[in-house]
Amino acid sequence: MANQHVQNLTIESSQSSPSVIADWERGVIMMRGESYPENSFSLYEKILDWLASYLEASPRSLQLDLELNYLNTSSVRAMIELFDNLQTAAENGREVSVIWRYDARNPRAAELGQELGEDYTFPFTILAIDP
Amino acid sequence: MGISAGLSLKQLGELQKFCSDQQILICLNGPNSQSLIEEIGKAMRQHIATQTEDSKAMDVFSTYIEISQNIRNYAIQKNYDAATSSATVIIASHPQGRYSVSAANLVETTDGQRLLERIKSLSQYDKAELKQLYKTQLREGELNAGGAGLGLIEMARRSSAPLEASLEDRPGGKAFFALRVIV
Repeated sequence: MANQHVQNLTIESSQSSPSVIADWERGVIMMRGESYPENSFSLYEKILDWLASYLEASPRSLQLDLELNYLNTSSVRAMIELFDNLQTAAENGREVSVIWRYDARNPRAAELGQELGEDYTFPFTILAIDP
Repeated sequence: MGISAGLSLKQLGELQKFCSDQQILICLNGPNSQSLIEEIGKAMRQHIATQTEDSKAMDVFSTYIEISQNIRNYAIQKNYDAATSSATVIIASHPQGRYSVSAANLVETTDGQRLLERIKSLSQYDKAELKQLYKTQLREGELNAGGAGLGLIEMARRSSAPLEASLEDRPGGKAFFALRVIV
C-alpha cells in the first residue's frame, strides 16, 4: 500500500495553478482549475515525470482528464509536451485519451481545446459542462 | 523635478480628471509580483465581466497576464533591481466596447529593437496565419525558456487591431519600451 501511495501524485490548486491528481490504479491524470503560475515548467515537469514512470512501469491505458478554464502561453507550451508524449505512446500501441472539459460560458476554453486537439490522432474529446 | 514631496490634493484632482478622460480602469506603477498579477487580474476580470461578454473579459485578462508575466520574467532574467524592473500597466476602456491593455517598461535597447521588429512583422499576418505561427512557435524553443515570442503572438491573436509599440532611448544602453494592445 505504501508503494502505491508513492505512485500517486497530488498537487493542491491555487489561484494560478490547477489541482492535479494522477491516479496510478485508474490510469487517470485529472487537472482542474486555471494555469498561469509563476513557473509553469516546475509544475508540468512533475506531471511529465509521473507520466513517464507510469508509461514505463504499467502497460495499461492512460486518460488525461482536463477541466482548465484558462492557460497562459507557457502552460500551453508545457501542455503540448504532455500531449506529444501521449501521441508517442499512442503510436507505440498504448491506449491513451484526453477529455477536455470546458465551462459552456467560456468559449475561449473550448476554442483552445479544439485547436490543441486537432494535432493528435488519439481520442481527444471536447465536452461542455453546464454551469 | 526629482522625487516629489508627495501627491498634493490638487495633483490628485488632475490625476482623477486624466484617468476619467482616458477611461482608465486600472493603472499599476511599480515592480510586479506574481501575487499582484493574480489579484489584479482576478479583480479586473470580474469587473470587466459585468460590462461585457465573458469571452471579451477573458481576452483582456489573458492579454494582461501575458504582458505582466513577460515584463516580470524579463526583469528577473536581466537581474534588474526594483527601480529598473518598475513597469506601468494600464487597462482602459476603448471606443466601441473594446479595451486597451498598455504597458511600459525598461529594456536593453537591443532587446527593444528586436521586440519592435517582431511586433511589426506580426502586424502583417491575418488571424489564420497567426494561428499557424502560434502552433509552429509552440514546438520551437526550450520548454523551460521564457521569452516574449509566444505571448506576443497570443496578444496579436486576441487583439482587434495591430499591436502598437514604441521605443525611446534611455541612458546606459537601455530604452523605454511601450506596448498597446486593443482587445
